[in-house]
Amino acid sequence: MYSLHLSAEQLEMRDTVRDFVTRELKPAALAADRLEARERPLLLDQLDQASQLGLRALALSESAGGAGADNLTCCIVVEELAAGDPDVAAVLAHTWTLAHILFDRLMTQAQRERFLAPFLDDPRCHLAHAYEEPDGDASLGIGYHRPRAADVSLHTTAVRSGNSWVINGTKHRVVNAPLAKLFAVEVAAAPTGDGKGASTILVPREAPGLRVGPEDSSTLRQHGACGRLILRDCRVPVENLIGSERQSALPAEIKLHASQDLALNLGIGRAAYEAALDYAQLRVQGGRRIIEHQAIGAKLADIAIRLEVARAAIWQAAWACDHPAAYADRSLPDLPLARIAKVFSSQAIYHAAKDAAECFGAMGVMRDMPLQKYVHDALICLHIGEADGETKLHIAEAIAGYRRAPTNLAAE
Amino acid sequence: MDFTLSNEQRAWQMTARKFAREEVRPISLARDAIADPRETFDWEIIRKGSRLGFRTMAVPKEWGGHGTDFVTQALVMAELARADSAISKTFSQCWKWSHLIAATCTDEQKRRFLAPFLADDTFLLGKGISEPGAGSDNRLPPEDPKAGLKLRAERKGDEWILNGEKCFIANASVGKLFFIDARTNPDVPLRQGTTMFLVPRDTPGLRIGKVFNKSGWRFYQNGEMIFENARVPHANIVGPVNGSDMKTQQAGDRTGGDLFGDLELAANALGVCDDACGMALALAQDRKQGGRPLFDQQLVQLKLNRMHLLTEALRSFVMRVAWEHDHRMRSANAGLCMNFSTDIIQEVTELNFDLHAGAGLMDARADKLVRDAIIWSHLAGDSVQRMKVARRLSRQELSDL
Repeated sequence: MYSLHLSAEQLEMRDTVRDFVTRELKPAALAADRLEARERPLLLDQLDQASQLGLRALALSESAGGAGADNLTCCIVVEELAAGDPDVAAVLAHTWTLAHILFDRLMTQAQRERFLAPFLDDPRCHLAHAYEEPDGDASLGIGYHRPRAADVSLHTTAVRSGNSWVINGTKHRVVNAPLAKLFAVEVAAAPTGDGKGASTILVPREAPGLRVGPEDSSTLRQHGACGRLILRDCRVPVENLIGSERQSALPAEIKLHASQDLALNLGIGRAAYEAALDYAQLRVQGGRRIIEHQAIGAKLADIAIRLEVARAAIWQAAWACDHPAAYADRSLPDLPLARIAKVFSSQAIYHAAKDAAECFGAMGVMRDMPLQKYVHDALICLHIGEADGETKLHIAEAIAGYRRAPTNLAAE
Repeated sequence: MDFTLSNEQRAWQMTARKFAREEVRPISLARDAIADPRETFDWEIIRKGSRLGFRTMAVPKEWGGHGTDFVTQALVMAELARADSAISKTFSQCWKWSHLIAATCTDEQKRRFLAPFLADDTFLLGKGISEPGAGSDNRLPPEDPKAGLKLRAERKGDEWILNGEKCFIANASVGKLFFIDARTNPDVPLRQGTTMFLVPRDTPGLRIGKVFNKSGWRFYQNGEMIFENARVPHANIVGPVNGSDMKTQQAGDRTGGDLFGDLELAANALGVCDDACGMALALAQDRKQGGRPLFDQQLVQLKLNRMHLLTEALRSFVMRVAWEHDHRMRSANAGLCMNFSTDIIQEVTELNFDLHAGAGLMDARADKLVRDAIIWSHLAGDSVQRMKVARRLSRQELSDL
């Protein structure tokens, strides 16, 4: 059963979000004060409007009060949002992904009862995952195709004290940190240094001992609002542990949704493409609209090719995560499809954005025009998560079957 | 073949290297970070550089300049660009129009304009061609008289009255003298109906509009020039009326190319590539991952190899073009080298950014180099610039027959 039909719901969702982006999000995103790539105030009003459309709970199951969207549907939506504003897209995608994973998959019934209603009731309740640490070294790099020294090198610790966890440490590059109301924090369960797995503990924003600070300027930027968590004797109830101690399932679950980051990147490329296509049909040089010149026509074709092939790879990876059985029955190749899509699409989209900017001549580098922003945003996508070479090393280990069961590849 | 530099060339290179390292580099990132595009400029660095000869080095000796050859100019541009591409370009912009003055102005004009230029450390030059509706049409003009620049010049007695608007003009907000292309006959194609005027900054009726807010080359001032009944003496016409195109022909450059400008962008790109290579190598040696220097990783070595091989290929090409210019060998090579430099500067600065990002770093300088390099897209490597060079090649083939 090979089908490329989108469902009626998916098409309707796309139209609804595209309409919202055209009417509300894009005009705000292209305001002059947001075109400076360095400093961008988050569009909080538009974020609220998106919440009212139900996007904050897009991936949360219908039984829990969400829209129950699968990976592919989320990819369609996040592309539309990012074509308007990648930061709003990133904030929403993080929240809806974490809502699905936490509420639908990992929480106990008792935890759901405590946390779900506040999440649903507050349109400004966003979620964040705190994993990375400033002195952490999560790269595969030098460890390529070699035995890992230890699975976890987290320095943030959680020690049990009576009915509480006492957490100490610093997390950085936490997407949604400035506005999240609930953090899923990855900790080393006890300072034993035995290299066992991490634990996930829920930390509400108002927890004593938690401070949210700005990101260090020398840290690689991400889309969305980023920040640091500083946890000093931060106390939360023991019942805030998600799943079992030292067996955090959250990072692996998040990986299953990696294709949505790629769809966000695709939205940036599409915004650049649409701008160039419009301009090429307006601007006249050489006595005709520039799209009628071979050089510009072929360039726009190149952009369209790159974006469409990227979309195909991204959607396949998303669909694969929604249909793990397709690996088992050999419908899908035994390959890490999300990582493959990441390498191809992030390069293709960066070059597409540069080409789109070139169509504008000098206006392509002006800060009062959006093209330089699209190029910058695409450059960031090229490097968020794993860098290009790093991703290839993971793919190489996967295709060699190194330390992997074949059924795991859907998650890569 | 002898690649040895003369003592004089070497001396200029060393002076430039020292000035770049001690004076230019320390202000480079701070100037880039200033948000207001009018405020990024720094007169102090211009004065210091001018006193070392970096503003006037292309003026011929007989007119009081340093009379450096093209090889020296290429070396100095690369050295300065290694510290800051936009500051290097601000100096070399003056050389570009020094060449033009030397090649095309009358002795009377040279006396009138070169003397104050040489005497004043803050005297910068510029040239106005681009207009809001005329970018590529100035580079590859179609036959239609309506295409291309529209700034109008009409004669009234001993004066010409200029009306219209220029945009993206280099040094617009800081220059004291500009070469302005204006239409003196709007009923014929651009090349036959355009005249070049020497327009001092204080010309009545000329005002400077906004300074463009670019993502790269932020030190370099590109601005609007607005002419409202601006009055320019007839004595300020360069070459014949309706003969703006002679700038290249009288310079002996029968290829239709821009003798210095193409080399300029390629040499500047070379300096930026040198900077990126240096940064990347230092990072690979200093930064550790998994307890070992990044350099120990094969992928890092391969990226460093690629950066250096591209940079050295560009160096060979740049120095060859400079040498050919000095030997009055005219070809399309300068244009090809300029196009090539676009591809090289972008790939090399992107690899440098990639190595830093791979180490989790948002390095402000690596980011700056990528933004500066993207400027080449529309100046040196867009399809019009490439087709223009192809057409030079085609004409050259014909003249060789």
